[in-house]
Amino acid sequence: MSFSEDHKFSGESIAHFARIIDSIHLGIWEYNTDTKHVKWSSGFYTALGYVPGEIECSYNYFFEHLLYYHDKPTFLKATYHPRHGESPVAHIRLLTKQNGYQWFESTTQKHDSKDGPVIYGVLTNINTLKINEIKAAENEFRCAEIGRIAKIGSWEIETATMNLVFTKEVYDIFELNNHVKMTIEEAISFFEPQYRPVMSHAIEQAIKFCKPYELEVLFRTARNNVIWVRAKGVPVLDDLGRCTIIRGVFQDIDSIKKKGITLQSSINLLDDQNKRLQNFAYIVSHNLRSHAGNLKFMVNLFEESNQNDDRTEVFSHIKTISESLSSTVGHLDEIVKIQSEISKERKVIDFDTIFNNVASALRTNIVAAGAKIHTDFSDCPQIDYIPAYMESIFQNLLTNALKYKHPDREPVINCSTQKAGNEVYLLFEDNGVGIDMPRYGDQLFGMYKTFHRNSDSKGIGLFITRNQVEALGGSIQVDSTVNVGTKFTVRLV
Amino acid sequence: MNTENKIVTAGIVDDDDIFTYGFKKSAAIKNLFNKVLSFGDGREAIDYLKDPRNSNQLPDVLFVDINMPVMNGWEFIDAFAEIKLKLGKNIPIYIISSSIDLEDIKRGKNNTLIVDYLLKPIDKIYLKDIFDSLQNQTSPRKSNLL
Repeated sequence: MSFSEDHKFSGESIAHFARIIDSIHLGIWEYNTDTKHVKWSSGFYTALGYVPGEIECSYNYFFEHLLYYHDKPTFLKATYHPRHGESPVAHIRLLTKQNGYQWFESTTQKHDSKDGPVIYGVLTNINTLKINEIKAAENEFRCAEIGRIAKIGSWEIETATMNLVFTKEVYDIFELNNHVKMTIEEAISFFEPQYRPVMSHAIEQAIKFCKPYELEVLFRTARNNVIWVRAKGVPVLDDLGRCTIIRGVFQDIDSIKKKGITLQSSINLLDDQNKRLQNFAYIVSHNLRSHAGNLKFMVNLFEESNQNDDRTEVFSHIKTISESLSSTVGHLDEIVKIQSEISKERKVIDFDTIFNNVASALRTNIVAAGAKIHTDFSDCPQIDYIPAYMESIFQNLLTNALKYKHPDREPVINCSTQKAGNEVYLLFEDNGVGIDMPRYGDQLFGMYKTFHRNSDSKGIGLFITRNQVEALGGSIQVDSTVNVGTKFTVRLV
Repeated sequence: MNTENKIVTAGIVDDDDIFTYGFKKSAAIKNLFNKVLSFGDGREAIDYLKDPRNSNQLPDVLFVDINMPVMNGWEFIDAFAEIKLKLGKNIPIYIISSSIDLEDIKRGKNNTLIVDYLLKPIDKIYLKDIFDSLQNQTSPRKSNLL
């Protein structure tokens, strides 16, 4: 049987349609707004799981017992839509006999019949669709939330057009409120200058050679915050193996990265300290061994020699060894003290006061050398430091400058402080013999490293100075030219 | 060869005066080495070896310390390698050190100029062995370090 001729339905086809509509659970209703008379098609009942007549067919029953209370305003708004001709669509929940509330699509149309204004409506069960839609929306929301919480967004480049698309989260990382469209070059310009070529190269390689990339780079946001980001790109290939799309993620890893960097610097510091301790152990062993060895050597000689003159000489050496042993142990004490004093409280100290104390203790040496000392602590007159360390630092630097004065001229020593941001520098400069930096530079602060034929050289002063400075988080550097002089730059904090 | 008359000169390169004194003294007591030359650091030793006036008074053996100022033992051995051929004499080198640093010992092992690595204090019996071997032109036994 044919339903229609051309676009018109035939008389018989209408009855056939009615049967089809009823059997596919498509509910049709009409409502006369004047008489309040309601008619429901049998499909209306079956759509709700009833047989006709099983429930009361009235507007009141529909509104009070079938329609979910929350959807009443939606339904009313769609039903009493003022304009004729259009068919407003509402999604509403209706109570079914077996399956609780189900989602229906309600389409209404107004029509003026001879009995007054009538509203016709069609109800279609869209529950599965709607549930999926809600689930999809939930998933999308969850995705967005994950992106927001993880500070991760995604992007795509279509290689044919080089069109770049960001998700909202990417714009969030860019700190851009308006989601402006960006070219690849514009996007790359947000990276810090040293990383721009890296990014361009990675994208180029991905397009040309289908090479994925993962980079951790510095990025400057629209609000001028410099942060670490992870940029990861994966080429999507067509059947011919060409890269058609690069898809990637973009993540703000600033806090992780900064923690990592801090961690790394702590590891380096520990590593340095470990190496120094290892070195220290070797040095201690070396020195004690050499004294002990000499002592044994001399005692044997003492026993072997039978002339009194020899014995007197050997004994004088034994005395020297005994003194050296005490002084080595004294050095060990000093080094151990560095670690034990670190827990002592820092105090605000006056550079001038401490320097003058040290200088007056060394007055005899200063006068004997004819040294001229200039100090200028005006840029930073005070510092929060362990007083004993500062005293020791001044003493070692000053003693060194006097000890290694140039034989042809009187020593001139300049000592000053400098403030640079949060950092405080101590500068100590002399015009002494200088140190052959290319040869000894790396050993200068080592223990028992001596570089001059000078009987006063113990090789302990600078070792202790460096340990004190580093124990409080500072660093020490030296510039020196042979026969010109030496300059120590100490970053105290 | 008349071994009784062979004169053996030792050179000691060490900044430790007491050790040098002890070495000389104990050599004198044990009748080891007819002559002991001493140098306070590597540079002094190289200067002496290089000086043509000393060409007929070169030591027959060198005992070299590692930790010295100015020119340490390793620097000395590098400098020695450069002038070795010009000396016209094969001078065996022994390291004598208090250093038990494995890096130093390994370094001694890898250097063909070094016959052996001795830890201070030195073993007099071993020293006599070296002396005897130099007198008789034989190889001395070795310490177990290298």
